[in-house]
Amino acid sequence: MDFSGTELREVYRKLRTIRSFEEKLQELVGAGKIGGFMHLYAGEEAVAVGVCEHLSREDLLGSTHRGHGHCIAKGVDVKAMMAELFGRSTGTNRGKGGSMHIADVDTGMLGANGIVGGGIPLVTGAALTAQVKGSDHVAVGFFGDGATNQGQFHESLTMASNWKLPAVYVCENNGFGEFTPTEFVVPVKDIVERAGSYGMRSAIADGMDFFDVYEKAGEAIDLARRGEGPTLLECKTYRFYGHYVGDQTPYRNKEEAEDWIQNRDPLDLFETRVSEAGILAPDDFRTVDGEVATYLAEVVQAAEEAPQPDIAEVLTDVYVNYKGGSPDVA
Amino acid sequence: MSRKLHTGGAINEAIAIAMRTDPDVILMGEDVAGGGDRSKDGTEEMGGVLGTTRGLVGEFGMNRVRDTPIAEMGLIGTAVGAAATGLRPIAELMFMDFLGTSLDPLLNQASKLRYMFGGKVKVPLTVRTVCGAGMQAAAQHSQSLYWMTTGIPGLKTVIPSSPAEAKGLLLASIRDDDPVIFCEAKGILNMVEEVPEGDYEIPLGQARVVRDGSDISLVAFGSTLKIALAAAEALENAGTSAEVVDLRTLSPLDEGAILSSLEKTGRMVIIDESTPRCSVARDVAALCVDRGFDSLQAPVKCVTAPHTPVPFSRVLEQAFLPSAQDVLDAVGEMD
Amino acid sequence: MPSGRWTDTMATAILMPRLGMTMEEGTVIQWPLATGGKVAKGEIVLIIESEKSEVEIEAPASGFFRHAYIDEGETVPCGELLGAITETPEEAFDCDGFRAEQQSQQDPGDSALEVKPRESAPASAEAPAASRKPVVPAARAAAKALGIDPQSVEGTGPRGRVTKEDVEAHAAAREALVQVAEGVRLEVRVAGQGEPVVLLPGLGVDISAFSQQSARFVDEYCVHAVNPRGVGLSDAPEAEAYELAQTAADAAASYTGAGHVVGASLGAAAALELAIAYPERVKTLTLITPFVEATARLLAVGEGWQRLAGETTSETLASALLPWFFSDGFLADPAARGRTLRGLTQSVARVPAATLARSLAGLARWSGSRKGDLAGISVPTLVIAAEEDLLTPSSAAMAEAIAGASLLTVPGAGHAVALEASEAVNAALASHFSRGEEAR
Repeated sequence: MDFSGTELREVYRKLRTIRSFEEKLQELVGAGKIGGFMHLYAGEEAVAVGVCEHLSREDLLGSTHRGHGHCIAKGVDVKAMMAELFGRSTGTNRGKGGSMHIADVDTGMLGANGIVGGGIPLVTGAALTAQVKGSDHVAVGFFGDGATNQGQFHESLTMASNWKLPAVYVCENNGFGEFTPTEFVVPVKDIVERAGSYGMRSAIADGMDFFDVYEKAGEAIDLARRGEGPTLLECKTYRFYGHYVGDQTPYRNKEEAEDWIQNRDPLDLFETRVSEAGILAPDDFRTVDGEVATYLAEVVQAAEEAPQPDIAEVLTDVYVNYKGGSPDVA
Repeated sequence: MSRKLHTGGAINEAIAIAMRTDPDVILMGEDVAGGGDRSKDGTEEMGGVLGTTRGLVGEFGMNRVRDTPIAEMGLIGTAVGAAATGLRPIAELMFMDFLGTSLDPLLNQASKLRYMFGGKVKVPLTVRTVCGAGMQAAAQHSQSLYWMTTGIPGLKTVIPSSPAEAKGLLLASIRDDDPVIFCEAKGILNMVEEVPEGDYEIPLGQARVVRDGSDISLVAFGSTLKIALAAAEALENAGTSAEVVDLRTLSPLDEGAILSSLEKTGRMVIIDESTPRCSVARDVAALCVDRGFDSLQAPVKCVTAPHTPVPFSRVLEQAFLPSAQDVLDAVGEMD
Repeated sequence: MPSGRWTDTMATAILMPRLGMTMEEGTVIQWPLATGGKVAKGEIVLIIESEKSEVEIEAPASGFFRHAYIDEGETVPCGELLGAITETPEEAFDCDGFRAEQQSQQDPGDSALEVKPRESAPASAEAPAASRKPVVPAARAAAKALGIDPQSVEGTGPRGRVTKEDVEAHAAAREALVQVAEGVRLEVRVAGQGEPVVLLPGLGVDISAFSQQSARFVDEYCVHAVNPRGVGLSDAPEAEAYELAQTAADAAASYTGAGHVVGASLGAAAALELAIAYPERVKTLTLITPFVEATARLLAVGEGWQRLAGETTSETLASALLPWFFSDGFLADPAARGRTLRGLTQSVARVPAATLARSLAGLARWSGSRKGDLAGISVPTLVIAAEEDLLTPSSAAMAEAIAGASLLTVPGAGHAVALEASEAVNAALASHFSRGEEAR
C-alpha cells in the first residue's frame, strides 16, 4: 500500500464527506428544505475518489446528474455546493444551477449535467483543447451505464480515439438506468466490450474498492497524459439510494440491494483494508466521522443563512454581452 | 482596397484572418480539410462540400483544421467542450437541417453553461451552417431553421446578406465570447461583390438601413434582402418610397432600428425565407404591434415561405420561396 | 442537527414529504407515537400513504412529539405541516404560533395578484364591438394626442378604416366649428353667398340628408347646413334630452340675419320652434314631412332604431331603416337602393347612440306641445308632404293649420322625400324662397 496514514485519512475524509453530504440531502429534501430533482451518489464514492486522486486542479472533469461525489472528490468547496443546493447566492453557480448543474470551472469541474450523456462530448472537447494547446492536462468524463446507449457516447469516443485525445471515460455501471436494469437495455455483458468498436483501450475496476479504482484509473490517466490516447474504464458499482430522492426502489431486488449495502459498502471496505494493514485504527476513522459531521452541520447552517439571490439575477449571465439586443436580457 | 469575391471566398478569408490573429481559433467539421490524400500538403483538398474552407488546412495544419466523423452531435458537442475550456472553435454544421442530429450540445449545453454556472464560464463557439432553399436540395437540405436557434436564449444567430457583410460579421462572430450560429443562406452563396481586404468586423446587434424611404419599411435578412431591394425598386417606380432594413443578426435583434423605421413610415413588411409559424418574421411583427403600435398606419405583413417542407422540383421550389412579387402583393393588401 | 427549520420555540416541523416527481399529496395513515412522548431522530414518527404505497417517515430530529396538525385519514398536499417535534418536554409549545410561522414562509400564491389600472379607458369603450369603426393604431395615437374620440371620425381608409390623415382632417374641421352657446360648438357647413338657407336634418341623420338641396342652392344662396348637438363634429354636451327649443336656439345662433329655414321631420319641429321663437330671423319656413304629434309607429321605429344603434353596425342599421324612409317604388330599383344605403350608412354612423337617445327624449317631450301654436305662425310657410310617408302621415294636415301655408304633396314618395324626390322638392323650395322675397 503506497499511501501514508495521512494520505489515507484524507482519502477517507473525502469518502465520508460524500456519504454524509448525500445522507444530509436525503433529509433536507424530505423535509422540503431543498427543491428540485436530486440524485444521490451514496454507494459509488470509491469511483469518484479513486479517479480524482490522480487529477490536478487543472485537469478537467465532466459529470452527470449524479454529480455531487465528483465535485467533492475534485475539490469543489462543499460550503458553496450546499449553498447552491439551497439555491443561494453564495452557491457554486450563484443559485442558477442546482444539483444537476453544479459546477466549478476553477477546480476543473465542468459541471454536473442534466442530460444523460451530455457531459461526454464536453469532456472530449476539453481533451481537444489540451491537445491543440499542447498541455499535459487530461480530461475525465464520468457517466453511467445508461449513457453508453446514447449517440453522444459513440460519437465522442469515436472522435477521441481517432484523434488520440488525452481523455479517460469512466463508466459508473451501477446496474440500473433510472429504474431499468442495465441488462434489459444494454446488449453487452460488460460496457467495456463497446470500446473495441472505437479501437479504444479499456479496463474494468471494482467500483466499490477504492484501491482497485485508484490503480486502474492511474494507468489510464498516465497513458492519456503521455499522449497515448483515451481509455474506457468501467467501474462496477451500486447506488445505495434510488434514482432520485423519493424513489422508493420497488423495482430493486431487496436481497441484492441488502447485499451491496451491508457487505460491499465502499467505506467499510476501505476501513477494513486500511485497518487490517495496520495503518489507521478504528478510532482514527471515528475521529474523521465526527469532524465531517461537525463540518457538514456548519455547512448546512451557513447555507440556510446565506442570502437568496437578487431577483435581478434572472437576467444576468445569459451572454457575455448582448449589445443591441432586447432589454429582456442583461 | 477591395476586390470582387463571392460569399464563400469572403468567408474563407474571414476564417483565415481569424486563425492568423488568434492561435486559439480552430476549424472543425465534416470535410473541412477534406484531403483524402494527405501527402498533397493541403493544396488539393476539398475544403468542405461547397469548397468554402479550401486551402486552410494547408496554411494552418491538421492540428487546427480537423475533419470530423459524420457525427454532428459529437462534432458540435466536442466544439462546445473545447470552447468552454480555452479554444475558440469554428465548427461547421454542413447544412442547418442537421440541427436535428446535433441539437443537444446547442440546446442544452452551449446556450446554458454560462447561465447555469452563474457566469463563471464562457463559450466562444461559432457554428457555421448553410441554410435555405434555392439549390434543389429538397426537404432535408434546404431548411431555414434560424428561427429555432433565435428562440434559444444563450445563443446568438447571425445571417449575412452579401459577401462583404459575411466577412465582417463572421470575424465579429468568431471573436464574440458567446456561442454564435452563423447562417450562410444558399441564396447569397453565388453572390459576387466588392469585399474590402484586410481585417474588419461588423458588430453584432446592429441592423443596417440599406435603402432610405418614407412610405413603407421592408425588413429583410440573408437571402431575402435582394428580394426586398427588388420590391423597393418596383415600388419606387410606382411612386411609393420604401425603406429597406437588413437585420444582419437575429439575436441580438436590433429592435431600435426596426421601431425607428416603423416610426418613420408607419407601414411594415417583414420578408423571411423560413416557414411562417414561430418565425422571425412574426416575432418582428409582434414587436411592431407591441412596441410600435402607435406608429402603425396599416396591418403588419409577413412574407414567408408556406408552412410546408421544401420541395425538390425547380418550379415548386421557386413557388415555395418568397419573391419580390409576393412583397408587392402584401403591400397591395395593406391599403 | 434536525433537518426541519429551527424556530424560536426550537421546534422541528414534520412536513408531508414529496416522495416522487409526480407526488402531489399524501394521506396520513397513522401517528404511532403519543403526543408528548419522546422520539429519537430516525425513529418512525409517522406512516403515510402516497401513490398506493405506505411509507414510514422517520423523525427529522430527536425530542418530544408535541402536536399532530393533521389527523389520521386526512389527505394533504406535499409540503403541508403535519406535526412538530420540540427539543424539550417542559416548554409550553405554541402549536398555532408555530403553524403561522411555517405558513408565513410559504408562497403567497395567486392571492397576491395585482391588476394594474389602465391608464385611461378608450373614449369609445362603451360602443359595442360590432358598431365600432376600425381605427388604425397611428390614428388612435393621433386622436389621443388631439383629444378626439376616433370613433367620431369619418374613415376614408380601406373598409372604412379611420386613418391618421382622417383624424388630422377631423381636427382641422373641428377648428372651424361655430360657437352657438357657452361651451357648445356645432358643425355648420357654410357654402355659397347670398341670403342664408338654413338646413336642419331629421332624427338620427346628419346634414348629408340635404345633399341634393345644398348642391342645388349653393350658387344663389349662402347654405348653412347645421348638424345639431351630438351629430358629426358637433359637441355632444351631457343632457337627458336635446330639447327642440334648444336645437332651434342653436340653429338661430349659427347664422346671421333672416334666412330661409328648412327642416325635415324632427328638423321641421326645430324649424317650427325657430319660427315661433325668432320670427324676425325667418324669411321663409319650409317644413318637410313635419308632425306636431308623433304617431305610435314613429315612436316605435325610434325605439327600435335606438336599440339597433347600440348593438349593430351602421350598415345593418341603415338597411333596417331604409324601408321606413323610402317608397315602395324607390326600393324596387336596386341601383338607387344600393346607392342610398351607402349614403344612409355614412349618415347614421355620424350619430352616436347617446345622441340618438337624447334626440328621442327631446322628441317625446316636444310631441303634441305645439298643437295650439300653429295658427300663430306668421312667416310664409311651405309644407312638403309625401304620399307614401309611413312615419309622419299627417304632414299635409299641418298646412291647413298654419295660416297661408302652401302645400306640396309629392306623389309616390316616402318620408325621406328630399332625397327620394329631390327635383320636385327643390323646385318647390326655389319657388317658395322667391315668394318669400316678394312678400317682403
